[in-house]
Amino acid sequence: MARFLIRRILNMIPLLIGITFLSFLVMSMVPGNFLSNLKMNPAISPQLIKEMEAQFGLNQPLLVRYGKWLWAVLHLNLGTSLAFNVSVTSLIGSRAVNTIILSAASMLFAWVIAIPIGIVVAVNQNSIWDRILSFVAFFGMSVPNFFLAFLVMYFAMKLNSPYLPVGGTYSVDYAQLDWMSKIGDRINHLILPVFVLGIAGMASLMRLMRSQILEIKNSDFVRTARAKGLTERTVIYKHVLRNALNPFVTMAGYGLADLLGGAALVEAVMNLQGLGLLLLNAVRSLDIYLVMGSVLMGTVLLLLGNLLADIALVAVDPRVDFSSMGSQ
Amino acid sequence: MARWWRSFVVAALTVLVACGCRVEHASDNHARQQIFYQASLGDPRTFNPILSTDSSSNEAVSDVFDSIVRMNELTMLPEPGLAESWDIAPDQKSITFHLRRGIKWSDGAPFSSHDVAFTMQVIYDKRVPNSMRSILTIDGKPMEVETPDDYTVVMRLPRPFAPLLYSIGTSIIPAHILEPVYKAEHFNQAWNINTPPRDLVGLAQFVMTRYVQSQLLQYADNPNFWMRDESGGPLPRLRGQTTLIVSDLNAEYLKFLAGQLDVYNPRPEEVVSLKERAKELNVTVAGNGVDTGELFFSFNRNPTHYVVNGHRDPKLDWFTDSNFLRAIAHAIDKQGMINLCFHGLAVPAYGMVSPANKLFYDPNLTDYEYDLKKSAGMLEAAGYHMAPGGVRVDPHGNPIVFNLMTNTGVPVRDQMCAMFKQDLATLGIKVNYRPLEFTTMVEKLDSNFDWDCVLIGFGGGGVEPNNGANVLRSSGDLHIWYPDQKTPATPWEAEIDKLLEQGTAEMDVQKRVPYYWRIQEIIHDQLPVMETVRQLRFTAYRNTLKNFQPTVWGVYHREYIEFTPG
Repeated sequence: MARFLIRRILNMIPLLIGITFLSFLVMSMVPGNFLSNLKMNPAISPQLIKEMEAQFGLNQPLLVRYGKWLWAVLHLNLGTSLAFNVSVTSLIGSRAVNTIILSAASMLFAWVIAIPIGIVVAVNQNSIWDRILSFVAFFGMSVPNFFLAFLVMYFAMKLNSPYLPVGGTYSVDYAQLDWMSKIGDRINHLILPVFVLGIAGMASLMRLMRSQILEIKNSDFVRTARAKGLTERTVIYKHVLRNALNPFVTMAGYGLADLLGGAALVEAVMNLQGLGLLLLNAVRSLDIYLVMGSVLMGTVLLLLGNLLADIALVAVDPRVDFSSMGSQ
Repeated sequence: MARWWRSFVVAALTVLVACGCRVEHASDNHARQQIFYQASLGDPRTFNPILSTDSSSNEAVSDVFDSIVRMNELTMLPEPGLAESWDIAPDQKSITFHLRRGIKWSDGAPFSSHDVAFTMQVIYDKRVPNSMRSILTIDGKPMEVETPDDYTVVMRLPRPFAPLLYSIGTSIIPAHILEPVYKAEHFNQAWNINTPPRDLVGLAQFVMTRYVQSQLLQYADNPNFWMRDESGGPLPRLRGQTTLIVSDLNAEYLKFLAGQLDVYNPRPEEVVSLKERAKELNVTVAGNGVDTGELFFSFNRNPTHYVVNGHRDPKLDWFTDSNFLRAIAHAIDKQGMINLCFHGLAVPAYGMVSPANKLFYDPNLTDYEYDLKKSAGMLEAAGYHMAPGGVRVDPHGNPIVFNLMTNTGVPVRDQMCAMFKQDLATLGIKVNYRPLEFTTMVEKLDSNFDWDCVLIGFGGGGVEPNNGANVLRSSGDLHIWYPDQKTPATPWEAEIDKLLEQGTAEMDVQKRVPYYWRIQEIIHDQLPVMETVRQLRFTAYRNTLKNFQPTVWGVYHREYIEFTPG
């Protein structure tokens, strides 16, 4: 186990450098740079652009800039955002927490609802429930979540309930509330976005669960289990479900990376304080260090997620062990 | 396993029930508290008014910092701000500003001419990147600022320069706070968005009290504000202001409908339905007039793009042939664009200056009316004939094909380009249309000049027409069609350069007007840019607001806004 862990973590280093370098290269190869946004403003003189270029070091060669960035990252300094002239860490920090809370809550919502439903519809294949719930699932998958966000916001506006505010992360008077009300306020503001994000995630999870179970339900070992005279319940929960879970473990690993960027559109529409829109704007305006900061975080989370998923897989599936994974 | 699932579901349900925790909010009636709610599209990037280069940052501090001269939104003329009056010397080369006495900064420190001199010093410092310097620099030379006493500022100009009275409306910053920071060479990091808002010291009606990233900005009235109303009563009348940061216009509209915002600038498609529901919502939908910016097609006339290794691209001949350009101008269906893209809420644009700019707009310009037959006739007459196969060719037999670009993300521009392409197709001209990411488009316009035709918009540069000099002057870097010319490429560009000089050297507005009318005529005749349409601007606001007068230049005398009781 220790050998496996060390090997995996050492493997991450060249991966991280490779991924960040490629991202840096791509961001630099895009025509223009952050200052291009200012060039079409009649109030901004070309001298000002040159001065800012020098101030941000954008006129240096690519490798020098990447080297400087990497060196700073090793000192836990993610650099300065070109647009905001403050450290990337201070911009990303609080927003990342909000985004993670939102994504984790909607993931939880999706999994808690999708997995039982997936089991129910798979066990009762082709029943009326299967059809209704599959219809709902397809609906959830096909409605774009930013549109669903508008719908629920419109609904909330009509309802005008204190529990369902129309967008935002906090109420305006949040600072004056006591801590219990603060928590309540945050939860109230989470209900609608979690519902919107959860519905989309739920749909695909449920379909996956259903097809997994259907596939395994007809395999030989299940027939054997039934032949042994086990109850249907035991067959489903102990044998079918256990074997159906493998892809979900891997998916949860990837989900860790998705936590950061998966909610951008909904965040924009519902006016939530999160990373999504900040990063979207950063990419569009070529605010390179802000983008690199998030690429780095996303990469680390993806690699970590994969590692955790592999460890969990060993725990869930006795057929997999560390020695077999280490040799991959 | 089954039990595990069940407890999981129960836990989830508990969480959902916990959501029902009722939060007691302070009274929702912000009108009774005299707190004004508005929305902004984006986060400010800095709170430092000198370093700001974007509209969100400017908006965020516009009610915190004041200037010595303001612009009156109704008359569009300069009016007294921190300076109660100013004298222009007979040779027009120096202006003396007399500052109001007894003004205090929001922290209680006295305001004096030293603050103005310090602000100018920072603006002229080459180490401080700011957009004010180029506007306040006259023929490459800075002004000399003198402060004979605490309440007098004398600015000496290298030559008479009329735009100064508009450009001097820059935010004044407090020397007693920022001078030590400036001397320690930290000015470029001073007052960034991580600065506690209470630390910002200003002279205008509000002080900023709170900033929550991507959520809101809050302001309270400045107890030391210098303005008084006609009867000597204190201003502002509002107790505070909250700016919600809402990055999506649809969400902003919903918030206005839900009563969370007091003011909203509806898009064309929302105006009609808002007007119909005005009574029910108890709001007024006011038409502010015509947009101050411009939205135009322009053709690339830059030889560096067309003459490669001695080979000359025929496009250069078409795009510098005024007959060709006029024929194209007649093929722009402005009314169609107005109806289709702006729901009828726009007007055809004839000249570079918007009719909203009553001081400098030239009313004598006529439209190139949409007439494809006339356009085809003009092309024939100029030697651009229709070849077999429905393709139009130039006098040398080259088929007329060119590329058209605009920036992505603005649906209206996309539609306008599609209409333009279609109309030119009926004339036998093939347009290859491609929308580009804004930064990519700018790179083409600004650096590699690899483009033929563009649809692009410029925001209004304010009332002062010289603010557009960078676009008009042949050596300007925003002279879109052929930037950075060493010497003017055409006689009419030379004439514009001269008119720009003359227009700034005359201090009297009325005497300046003819120069700028002539510039508008030249652009209209030579068509380096083909104006399309200008949107009509609307503002919807609650009927409980008193003294709320929106204009396309901003809200008139915001200090007087208040909510009617009840």
